[in-house]
Amino acid sequence: MAVEQKVREYILENYLFTDDQSTLKNEDSFLEKGIIDSTGILEVIYFIEEDFAIKVSDEEMVPENLDSVNNIVKFIEKKQNAG
Amino acid sequence: MVQSLVHMLHNMVLKVPDAEAIIYGETRVTYEQLWLTSLSVAHLLSKQNLQKHDRIAILLENSPEYVATYYGAQAAGGVAVGLNTAAKARDLENWIRHSGATWLFADASHTELSNLIQACGKDIKIVLVGENNTIHTEFTWNNIVNSKNKEFDLSNVTNSNDPAAIIYTSGTTGNPKGVTLSNKNLVTNIESILAYLKLTENDRILNVLPFYYTYGNSILHTHLAVGGSIILENSMMYPHRVLEKMVSEKVTGFSGVPSTFALLLGRTNLRDYDLSTVRYMTQAGGPMPPANIEQLLEAVPHIQFFVMYGQTEASARLTYLPPDKIFEKLGSVGIPIPGVEIEIHDEHNKVVNEGVTGEICARGENIMLGYWNDPESTKQVIKNGWLHTGDLAHVDSDGFLYIDGRSSDMIKSGANRISPKEIEEVIAELKEVLEVAVVGAPDNILGQIIKAVIVLRPGENLDTKDVKAYCKRNLADYKIPKLIDFTDTIPKTASGKIQRYKLQEQYK
Repeated sequence: MAVEQKVREYILENYLFTDDQSTLKNEDSFLEKGIIDSTGILEVIYFIEEDFAIKVSDEEMVPENLDSVNNIVKFIEKKQNAG
Repeated sequence: MVQSLVHMLHNMVLKVPDAEAIIYGETRVTYEQLWLTSLSVAHLLSKQNLQKHDRIAILLENSPEYVATYYGAQAAGGVAVGLNTAAKARDLENWIRHSGATWLFADASHTELSNLIQACGKDIKIVLVGENNTIHTEFTWNNIVNSKNKEFDLSNVTNSNDPAAIIYTSGTTGNPKGVTLSNKNLVTNIESILAYLKLTENDRILNVLPFYYTYGNSILHTHLAVGGSIILENSMMYPHRVLEKMVSEKVTGFSGVPSTFALLLGRTNLRDYDLSTVRYMTQAGGPMPPANIEQLLEAVPHIQFFVMYGQTEASARLTYLPPDKIFEKLGSVGIPIPGVEIEIHDEHNKVVNEGVTGEICARGENIMLGYWNDPESTKQVIKNGWLHTGDLAHVDSDGFLYIDGRSSDMIKSGANRISPKEIEEVIAELKEVLEVAVVGAPDNILGQIIKAVIVLRPGENLDTKDVKAYCKRNLADYKIPKLIDFTDTIPKTASGKIQRYKLQEQYK
């Protein structure tokens, strides 16, 4: 499954509780739209680490890497390419 | 004693008009500017014939606008009702109707706004803060804040024993609890807190706690009472950003609930940041694991760390642990703050001996007037002048208080205090559900997470996602159960009352 699709499915399933793809835009800010809160983001990190075998360091826990589907996909692809 | 919060602010406007009061992103608001904006709000309300004690609901995130509305409402003689911005329309409508608010100051981009306006209809005058292309109201923030009129008759402010603010602590349809506080309650508590925190106009706090809760409310007013600065950061989602701001703003103070500190300790290295300007940190909102306190003080040993305990019904604060006793009395929430008496009562309302667990009861000028329009519920918690907190504790031989648990069913998750009944009420609306019980389950970060146990009607099927989706439509996100179990029976007493403690035992 493509990274983007997997991330979208995770967010829809665990934070929006729906299969309706139209409820989530890839550029939606999780913080501004209230999709994920401060503990939710820890779960997202756990998901990234488990499902993509990537280690997310404390310093990488910033909105540029985690605050939207697009940002997460970019971050995962960057880490995979670097690894 | 100063007469009111508004008078306290006014004193600082006279003393330090050019000092920064609120810092929000790029916006820096001085005391003089905050005062003028507050007066603009007050002028509008007065011009529109606001009567003394009329309620003004505020549905705004922490922002300069929230603060100006709160003080402006009180300056005009109104009662400020800060609403939980995470709540959904049904709770918001419930609180607005219960408080009888005649005004609503709301963030124009709030996702529940159109549903709320539809529900409340023409019963309420609305002031929108910000832009909204689809909702049009008679009043907008931009057209009321242009007043340059510095004069305002402060005799409009309610008497010190009259209601000044309402804080809703739960939202069940039948029984919303609106903690009603007078200026005397609020001012007394502020003065007690100032006596031990020793805040001055040089203090600068970074605040992540919502003003619509009592802890954030208390941080706001204590700092404005001394001419200090409040730097707003409305999320702990990215703890590094919070620390960077603490450094760049040279803050002297920081306050949090246990989950705030758990996030900082778990996802950052505090030693990497220059926190030398920080003089103190405070913690309330439930027990913080002693190991986290030790870890925090190893990382920032120069700070004074205040463990505190309180309740909305006590205007905020009841006890504090003096920082020099933090290791000697680790695990304690300390001693009563100035002006507060604490006793531990048994079930017959008799004071227990030291070391014996009983209910924390408190007395002082900070104890609420009562629950808004609810004398019955008020009578259940205020008896013979003593507030019965529902919290269980014992006192050691030196008079230090140790919390042992709660006698009520409220769930404490992060900064939120949640009535299980609110969630049960919503889940029970699903036609597939025969019965449901909600309890708190232990969690390392949040203290407790919400667990729902559901019995389905015979032959019915229901997915956990369906339950969560329904909760998301009707409840604030922090009230959505994290865990859902389907079961055959829920333990109950002979009279049919849910035995939550039995369910809780299962999830320990």
